[in-house]
Amino acid sequence: MNKVCFKNINKDNPSSLATYEASGGYKVWRKILKGELSQGKILDELKTSGLRGRGGAGFPTGLKWSFMPRNQEGQKYVVCNSDEGEPGTCKDRDILRFNPHAVIEGMAIAGYVMKASVGYNYIRGEFMEPYYRFEEALNEAYGAGLLGEDINDSKITFNLYTHLGAGAYICGEETALLESIEGKKGQPRFKPPFPANVGLYGKPTTINNTESFASVPDILAKGGQWFADLGVPNSGGCKLFSVTGHVNNPANFEIPMGTPFSDLLEMAGGLREGRKLKAVIPGGSSTPVLPAKAALKMNMDYDSIDKAGSMLGAGSVIIMDDTTCMVKALTRLAHFYYDESCGQCTPCREGTGWIYRVLKRIMDGHGKNEDLDLLLSVQDKIIGNTICALGDAAAMPVESFIRHFRKEFEHYIKNGESMVAKDG
Amino acid sequence: MVDIEIEIDGKVVHGNSGESVISIADREGIEIPRFCYHKKLSVSANCRMCLIDIKGNPKPQPACSTLASAGMKLYTKNAKAKAAQKAVMEFLLINHPLDCPICDQGGECELQDVAMEYGSDVSVFNEGKRIVADKDIGALIHTDMTRCIHCTRCIRFGAEVAGIVEMGGTGRGEDLKIEPFLSEGIQSELSGNMIDVCPVGALTSKPFRFEVRSWQMNSIQSIARHDLVGSNIFTQTHKGKVKRVVARDNESVNETWISDRDRFSYQGLASEKRCLVPKIKVNNEWREASWQEALDFAVNGIKNNNSDGSKFGALTSKNATLEELYLLQKLTRGMGSDNLDYRSDFANPAAANILKSSISLAELEDIDHALIVGSHLRLEQPMINHRIRKATLNGASVSAINAQTFDSNYRISNNLLTAPQNTLATLSGVLKAVLNEASEKQPDYLNSVVVEQAHKDIADNLLNAENAVVILGEHVNGNPDSDGISQLVKDIAEASQAQTLNVSLTSNSLAAEQVGFRPVNGKNALEILASDLNSFVMFDIYPDFDCFNPESAIENLSRSDAFVVSLNSFEDDSVLKYSDVVLPIASFYETSGTHVNIDNISQSYSASVKSAGDSKPGWKVIKVLADLLEIQGFEFVDSCEVADEALSMTPSTSVARAKITGSEIPEISTVWQCAPYSVDALVRHSSSLQETQIGQINVASVSKATAKLLKLSEGDLFKGVPVNINNSVAEGCVFVHTYQPRKC
Amino acid sequence: MISDQAKKEIDIWVAKYPTGRQSSAVMEALKIVQAENGGSLTNDLIKAVADYLDMPRINAQEVATFYENYNHKPVGKHVIRFCHNISCMLNGADDLISYLETKLGVKTGEARKDGLVSVKKVECLGACVGAPMCQIGDKYFENLTEQRIDEILDGLK
Repeated sequence: MNKVCFKNINKDNPSSLATYEASGGYKVWRKILKGELSQGKILDELKTSGLRGRGGAGFPTGLKWSFMPRNQEGQKYVVCNSDEGEPGTCKDRDILRFNPHAVIEGMAIAGYVMKASVGYNYIRGEFMEPYYRFEEALNEAYGAGLLGEDINDSKITFNLYTHLGAGAYICGEETALLESIEGKKGQPRFKPPFPANVGLYGKPTTINNTESFASVPDILAKGGQWFADLGVPNSGGCKLFSVTGHVNNPANFEIPMGTPFSDLLEMAGGLREGRKLKAVIPGGSSTPVLPAKAALKMNMDYDSIDKAGSMLGAGSVIIMDDTTCMVKALTRLAHFYYDESCGQCTPCREGTGWIYRVLKRIMDGHGKNEDLDLLLSVQDKIIGNTICALGDAAAMPVESFIRHFRKEFEHYIKNGESMVAKDG
Repeated sequence: MVDIEIEIDGKVVHGNSGESVISIADREGIEIPRFCYHKKLSVSANCRMCLIDIKGNPKPQPACSTLASAGMKLYTKNAKAKAAQKAVMEFLLINHPLDCPICDQGGECELQDVAMEYGSDVSVFNEGKRIVADKDIGALIHTDMTRCIHCTRCIRFGAEVAGIVEMGGTGRGEDLKIEPFLSEGIQSELSGNMIDVCPVGALTSKPFRFEVRSWQMNSIQSIARHDLVGSNIFTQTHKGKVKRVVARDNESVNETWISDRDRFSYQGLASEKRCLVPKIKVNNEWREASWQEALDFAVNGIKNNNSDGSKFGALTSKNATLEELYLLQKLTRGMGSDNLDYRSDFANPAAANILKSSISLAELEDIDHALIVGSHLRLEQPMINHRIRKATLNGASVSAINAQTFDSNYRISNNLLTAPQNTLATLSGVLKAVLNEASEKQPDYLNSVVVEQAHKDIADNLLNAENAVVILGEHVNGNPDSDGISQLVKDIAEASQAQTLNVSLTSNSLAAEQVGFRPVNGKNALEILASDLNSFVMFDIYPDFDCFNPESAIENLSRSDAFVVSLNSFEDDSVLKYSDVVLPIASFYETSGTHVNIDNISQSYSASVKSAGDSKPGWKVIKVLADLLEIQGFEFVDSCEVADEALSMTPSTSVARAKITGSEIPEISTVWQCAPYSVDALVRHSSSLQETQIGQINVASVSKATAKLLKLSEGDLFKGVPVNINNSVAEGCVFVHTYQPRKC
Repeated sequence: MISDQAKKEIDIWVAKYPTGRQSSAVMEALKIVQAENGGSLTNDLIKAVADYLDMPRINAQEVATFYENYNHKPVGKHVIRFCHNISCMLNGADDLISYLETKLGVKTGEARKDGLVSVKKVECLGACVGAPMCQIGDKYFENLTEQRIDEILDGLK
């Protein structure tokens, strides 16, 4: 446990430059500055490591970096997505607070590989403590001569800045995030063109999640194979899982990919006295909910969770015990997407409000028999038809909640109250 | 250009690599429903209505943002595409009001049309529809934002075409509201195009509101005549009245846009101030008369006061049709007179304005530099300005020699503030700098000219450009040095191998040039108005706006020995003061005619409606006058015959070189620029245009130092116009921009 | 409209972005003037920020109304932003919000009459392992209970 991003978490002053360097930090970056590590070698190691985007989509990081037109002249950008806002997710906050230098080094390395001289770390506006910690780390890094113009006469320039969000979940979507850095509303762009070609200020840009960047220095220090071997095939390395909800010890755990869910549940202190596991959302609010039976069979890796009927997402494991009213839980999530839809494209703007209102009506005791079919039909009309993934994210929980817990919804419609005696 | 093959619905079609799929489909006549896509605006892909199935792609994709690549197979109507399109349609309709019966867009609504094919008869939405509060965004556009489907065409139009970011989308999610900032209304001179691009009834024409259902109107092809472009329009009429004007596509002329002036001027037709019946003045008393009586009265008056043709003079406005100009010219010359002109607002129409345009509207988009001399192009020639703006979006730079810094919708990188009395010297400096740089020989008159750094900068801009244009604007018309100025502009352009564009002769002036409506040896406008001529025909002249010095013109024409026949569409006290007969003539859209635009394209149009009251088309009135005056050669049956004859004329092109000598101008001079919505009688009578901010322009701008010399303070009246002291004006002049009558 | 101090702070942000991209700083600029104005924005402030950053006013208004961190009505000196998303909900956030409302005598979304506090229900703040939680000013307060809330409220002056 805690081998990569969290390796210093139990040390004194974990976020300091001294702690980071004592554990081997900036070794890779110094090697690069001395001209001892080529871009090609870095890309090879990353591909070998099997590192997949930790923001939720799970796209192979090495492959993503190789899409950048590295040798194209002109300004390019590296952007870190620290706009953590997916309900149930709170891992990047801890990386920023306890290991900010790993993010800085990861971004600097990315800048070197992509020949991008400027980076921005987009931190959500509410994360003020993480922001101050990250800024402190930036100052330390500049002070130590690790960032700036022509660093140590290496001809390598990398300047890194923080951009703060202002409260919009959608900015976690990478192109909305770029719009937001440009000082606009966070409305996702249609793709193609992809950011690798037309990104920030119209320039080629690579965007990765905080955890992805923070994993890069260790991968390069210890080798791609070392990282890959931590996990299982197709899910290299270890990963942070935020276990929240009805457990005794909710916390972030950095564990090898492929760890059985039941082990993770145990690490989190298990369920509360006398409660039974009812459902698990394994990857954050946008991923389909799983009933206990299916969840207990899965391991924490991409393929296993996929097989169980959901997605690993950002590794945000929401545990629900038998006191949970599933109608209320879904209504809560539906409200979230309704509130956070940017409003740009039709299906999401109109559909998220529709879904929420029908659910709200059911909760208010005015449900109708045909409402469940209506909900399924509305979510089906959103899925696949929107500019960005928020539409799908809003739709998928509706389908899975109703599929797995239909009886509970029917009971609520018929009786105007929850089937669960005491809701969570 | 066609270089790839793709397949749409099983049909092999050709397109350009990188072209959007929807544009290929449109060209091939394959229908794909859409709302946010507009061929002249950037792609936003937000409405999702054009979702189609692309083979190999798991999700349906928008046809507007999908770029064609060779071998692509697309299905616009299979089950997957239809399901996506119907889903989007359903979402669009759940919050759209069902008020089509009272919506002005009804019958021409893109949402209504598409809903007929893709919508469902039954709605399963029972949650209560969204209501959005409306904002008053000005006199031209009415808003019903509950109907808005958030396609953002209006936002993109503003940002990309009008060049003023006025509309935006505030809030988020289903609270997204399309609106301008706070209560600031829409100010663009092209704002009405937002009505055209709005696919629903959210933005509709305010003057047209609740007038008539769209399907009850006739649409007649016509030409707008307020500027040099001759934008193509449809006049939409009902029961003999023009109810609305909308844009008609003509890529090489106005593309798909029209200015607000062209769109809303028609309102003036219904003004209470129209001349409806002939009037004659007997014993200093005005009375109405029959056409026969009035014509006889006019002809007798002209004959009695005209023993010799040289005592006859004719003036016309620059808004007359080609046919009217031709016939009046023919009548005048048939009378044995050469006293005729259309330049009554010129300070010095002594010689010819010698500058010919050498570049077309469409070519303006390809320039890399423009030098503007004496023009507030954005407000004076909106559609020409639009082409220049497009060039700037492609990287062109713009410099200007103006008496004031004007609010532009592109950056003017080098703005040389120059008072009228210094314009000749400045241009001479620029010419000398150009010749110096190009190491060319200099004419003697440049010997004493001092080249300043600012002149060199302008010269460098021109010389560094591959494809530059020098634009001469209408502010020079009020400058006594206008001939010298246009000669220098021509010389500068030649020396720097730049093109020329003359926008100083506006509206239908080029038609007047075509038919030779200027004296060869006779008196020009200034001379006619100051002379002892004793019979006049004044065609469409409103002296307070159309004459350089209204006061003296009115006084002279009011002489007891001057017999004045006026042909007007609108009542005017000054006209009544000096006229002996007023013959009511048709206004815009009430007569057939021809407009000659800046590309020298003659665009003919028929009458959209009958002329008001007893008024008659101007060309017919002139023809009958000529017949009654027994002048030969007026055997025309219709205006087409007149146009044919007019266009077969070869206008004299040989013009003597103007002398570059400054005339005497006072130390402090005035530029009097008529506000854009006061340039002719029709726009002056359009109440909606007058209510706009542009319509209300009324300011005499002056610098602090000059104000001191003139003992003017902020808010004082300068020739009746409120003074504004600011640093945007050249020293030594007052720039008057106003809707008010001109004061010399 | 914008104080010299605020302009200085805004300029620090402007310096982070490429020349001509000063409107990238609009989000922070709005926060800075909002803080100076006691926690909420006015239309005049939005206009002033837009003009200071040389960007269209409507675009500044778009930003000010799109992001949740801006207030358009006066708020209390301390704004308690209480998360009510799934992980917090599962751990009793709704009851705690009711407790807070009763204790303070305010409704969520409103400022208390004395202007000291207002309570706002917000979506996930990204501290789910500390659910239920809230944010006051720059600080997060996690693992909340009624007792903990009492302590926190006692500390608000």
